[in-house]
Amino acid sequence: MKRIYVACGSGVATSQTVASKISSMCEDEGLDVAIEAVDIKSLENIIDQCDIYVSIVSNDANIFDKPTVSGIPFLTGIGMDDEWEKLKSFIEL
Amino acid sequence: MASLLHEELVLLNYQADNAETLLKELATILQQQGYVKDSYIQAILAREKEFPTGLNTPGVKLAMPHAAPKHVYKEAILVAKLAQPVMFKEMGNSGKDVEASLIFMLAVQDPKNHLDALSKLMSIFSQKEKLLEVYNTVDKKRLIEKLNAVLN
Repeated sequence: MKRIYVACGSGVATSQTVASKISSMCEDEGLDVAIEAVDIKSLENIIDQCDIYVSIVSNDANIFDKPTVSGIPFLTGIGMDDEWEKLKSFIEL
Repeated sequence: MASLLHEELVLLNYQADNAETLLKELATILQQQGYVKDSYIQAILAREKEFPTGLNTPGVKLAMPHAAPKHVYKEAILVAKLAQPVMFKEMGNSGKDVEASLIFMLAVQDPKNHLDALSKLMSIFSQKEKLLEVYNTVDKKRLIEKLNAVLN
């Protein structure tokens, strides 16, 4: 089972929402994943524990050596299909 | 579940010159109505600078400023429709500008309580028709009804 972290500034609103959206999308497709919303400040300490990182804050995509997708398309719907395909390919790795 | 929307927190044709002034004024309304602590105002400004919340949503561009739960007394969503768009930065620090016309300022305590409502609110961000419908509503009560229909 793949572990996915979604991080935003405070871990209260955006990351929770994106996490819940991705969670239901995975469920619909029968993908077995564990998704957690975390705040960006604790991410550094726990990033090793996840397989895939969904980024909502800053241009930190390259800081972590983890497969990374952008979470914002899951909010706006713009470009969501591409990010979803990317995410699925990481889940199925 | 009690509604997160309140008539005194719906602002129509709100005027502001820039995002900082706008955020300060909107946060002050929440503070004066007893929803948030004084510290919420600075927290909103600081957070927006570090983690911008503008979204280039289809139809109506928006921003959803919010701050940590410790600054909040009572949960609520303030809705402001702007007379003229105000420049925000896009969430995710793409560096892109967002000319926001609609503001959802969130006062959130335990996100788990309202995850469903927040998810539903954000679910309309990707639906151009629904966003436009909310944006084009000119009556506070009707606007709350429309949003409640989405949230409940």
